[in-house]
Amino acid sequence: MMRSSLLRDSLIAIAVFAVLALLPFVVQGKGFTDFMVRLAAFGIFATSLNLLVGYAGMESFGHGLFFGLGCYSFGLIMQTFPVSIPVAFLATVALSIVVGTVVGAICVRLNEIYFAFVTLAFQMLLHSLIIAWTPITGGDQGLTGGIPRPPFLGIRLDDYYHLYLFSTGLLVASLLAMYHIVQSPFGYTLRMIRDNAARAPFLGINVFRVRLMAYVIAGAFGAIGGMIMSLFVSGAFPDFAYWTISGEAIFMIMLGGITVFLGPMVGAVMLLLLNDFVTKMTSHYGLVLGIVILLFALGLRKGLMDFAADLWRDRQTASGPRPDTAAKAVTSAPARAGE
Amino acid sequence: MDLSALASCLITPSCVITQTTSGLIIGLLLFLVAAGVSLIFGVLKVVNFAHGAFYMLGAYFAYTAYQLSGNYLIAVLAGGIGVGLFGLVFERLLISRVYGSPVLMQLLVCYGAILILDDLVKIIWGADFLSFGMPSAFQQLPFVFAGGVVPVFYLFLIVVALAIAGLLGLLISKTRYGKIVRAAAVNPSMVSALGINTGVVYASVFVLGGFLAGLAGGLAAPVRSLTAGMGTSIIIESFIVTVIGGMGSVAGALVGSILIGLVRSFGTIGFPLFTEGLMFVLMAVVLVLKPSGLFGKGGA
Amino acid sequence: MLKIEGLSKSFGGVAATNDVSLHFPKGSLTAVIGPNGAGKTTFFNLITGAFKPDRGRILLDGDDIAGLSPPEIVRRGIGRAFQIARIFPTLTVRQAVLGAVHAHRNQHRIIAKRFPMSGSGDRAEQVIALAGLTAKADTLSRNLSHGDQKLLDIALALVLEPRVLLLDEPTAGMGPEERWAMIDTVHRMWELERMTLIFIEHDMSIVFKIAQSVRVLSYGRVLAEGTPDEIRRHPEVIKAYLGDEFEASQA
Repeated sequence: MMRSSLLRDSLIAIAVFAVLALLPFVVQGKGFTDFMVRLAAFGIFATSLNLLVGYAGMESFGHGLFFGLGCYSFGLIMQTFPVSIPVAFLATVALSIVVGTVVGAICVRLNEIYFAFVTLAFQMLLHSLIIAWTPITGGDQGLTGGIPRPPFLGIRLDDYYHLYLFSTGLLVASLLAMYHIVQSPFGYTLRMIRDNAARAPFLGINVFRVRLMAYVIAGAFGAIGGMIMSLFVSGAFPDFAYWTISGEAIFMIMLGGITVFLGPMVGAVMLLLLNDFVTKMTSHYGLVLGIVILLFALGLRKGLMDFAADLWRDRQTASGPRPDTAAKAVTSAPARAGE
Repeated sequence: MDLSALASCLITPSCVITQTTSGLIIGLLLFLVAAGVSLIFGVLKVVNFAHGAFYMLGAYFAYTAYQLSGNYLIAVLAGGIGVGLFGLVFERLLISRVYGSPVLMQLLVCYGAILILDDLVKIIWGADFLSFGMPSAFQQLPFVFAGGVVPVFYLFLIVVALAIAGLLGLLISKTRYGKIVRAAAVNPSMVSALGINTGVVYASVFVLGGFLAGLAGGLAAPVRSLTAGMGTSIIIESFIVTVIGGMGSVAGALVGSILIGLVRSFGTIGFPLFTEGLMFVLMAVVLVLKPSGLFGKGGA
Repeated sequence: MLKIEGLSKSFGGVAATNDVSLHFPKGSLTAVIGPNGAGKTTFFNLITGAFKPDRGRILLDGDDIAGLSPPEIVRRGIGRAFQIARIFPTLTVRQAVLGAVHAHRNQHRIIAKRFPMSGSGDRAEQVIALAGLTAKADTLSRNLSHGDQKLLDIALALVLEPRVLLLDEPTAGMGPEERWAMIDTVHRMWELERMTLIFIEHDMSIVFKIAQSVRVLSYGRVLAEGTPDEIRRHPEVIKAYLGDEFEASQA
């Protein structure tokens, strides 16, 4: 078993960020930096959802609650109060922790199907609040008027290269943090609950508390994704709280792979590329996306990184019988996140 | 929030009549959709997230049938039968492949289907809001009960929906088919061992659910504007109904739907900006007090 | 040590456990036997908090634990292994045992450090060795043989340093040789750790080989208790149950 360490992973993260910082000089143009900022928002969002789905076995349909919450609360705070961006950031995260705790306390004790629905219902509650509360949220027009971007620490987020650095930096930092959490004792407790929630209490584990923690943590990172999106669109739109955003996140993680930590990132890249490609060709994006989703759900069924992980595991394991194979899983037990 | 308006409505008979009837309309139409969701879940253990799209299709099929025939009854039946058949295709082609799969995979299939259907509707019928128009048979002077105005069409809807609900109840509890369906919900392998083709049973539940949703769409069409996203709010409400009423319970779906309908209609008076939110609050209250729903067994 | 007083539990009118009073002295090794449906597993479920009793007391060293939740009861020192091994399929043996060690030390919610935390390895290796799984420590739990999974199940319970260990049919589903190997392992664990061990078993020859005393349950009630020899000669037990089972196990 390879020992992971925070130090090693942090160094890798710094190196990755250094490469990312230099990329815009190689791949010039705003198209690239725009793509990367959106990728940062969705990548953090999707990875945070996988904390719940892949690692904790908690299938949430309504994770978009936090994306929308993060987007709107950051935008509203910046528009309403004369605070700096870091302060608004912390306030947004704090708010999402509060909401996550309240909603989580109601949802987390429910069984699988109910948990899925009720998280969705809460998300749609936020959405209907956003649509109804026009004087504050702009209703279905969205939050207009732009977001003030006071410089902080020499960073001017109205400059698109600065925004790129800020977003990708947040992406790398968030991934590092989430990876660390997944590799902590807490992360392994999540895996135990996912694998056998009935056994866990007999090891002295309070399953409700652990699941609630997971829900709140995932929500906080989801809100960070929403915050980046708010900066990107200079405001907020009700679509970011609509159920389709949860659907897209679910598709991202399943497409990319739920058993590998970076699977959701891969899925986010794939979905964003698909989005950009298709919207150039036709206005019927929904139709094409729907067909792609069906092909995936009925055909492939496992994500790209899931296939890669199976191949890797096959090559590694020379000894011992393997009851399940690397072949495409059909209707067998769902894939689980491990490493 | 306007509690005084709500209070004064509750003591005024005419207001109570109008709000109760409109609440019943909302509730009963919702029931026709939610009953399908609940049945499909009870028997197939599948959450049919696309059921709202079934309702939408019912409305659009009815619209076209009405344009062609000018007869409202034919239009409603076209909605029901059309979606019933669609439900069969949907189950055989898509849903049957994800029985036993994780919930998220089932959701993805439904999500993909909804995206395709919404766009197809836009392509075939256009992206603008369509208006069905009130059929001439109902263009009469409304009834007046204790000062409360009740359009003729509303009475028609209430009677028809209650009749359908009653027939559904009889079907489930008194007929052999109903017994088979209930048995399949509890012990599919036993049903299969008795020589009954469970595949046919499963498909038929989807046909029935689709038929009900399609009827609901056709019945609702004269008093709703038709648009591609119209299925979304009704599926969310159906979920809330199943949470409140209890998963798999048709009686629970009826009680839950009517409750939601009344909450909405009286809610628009007392809480004009937050009417939608009220349903969620009601759901949260039920969840905290009785997690398995009013009529349900085991949700927590 | 573990004293059960008037324990009762009904499910929908059927008394699964009916006024059961038993005493298990500290460090003893007791077998609980009885025909299928006698309420043995329900009895274990009541002690470990999976069900709340309708009536009665469960005294662990004098403290009544009836009605507490499973995590609370575990922390008081009652461990349990299951009839069908409950394991964590995607974790290796080592990871699962380390996870249990962390849970035992209340470290399972820590996010600041990496897994496994320092100091947990030694205890994990010790328990893995006790269960005889050292050679398979890096095997995925789902790839273990049935017998090894049951050993892992017991190992996970042992991590918690239980004062009382309940084993539900430790040899279930095993062939003849494997059963003896398993029961020898269980006996060895008991000799080394000296906890109060109670196990449910159907195979009488195993019961007679290692149990110090036997409790017989039937239709939710205590039918008899005593040493294995006493039980073997107990007229009611022979008449109702032991006859069939004893003959079967002699064949």
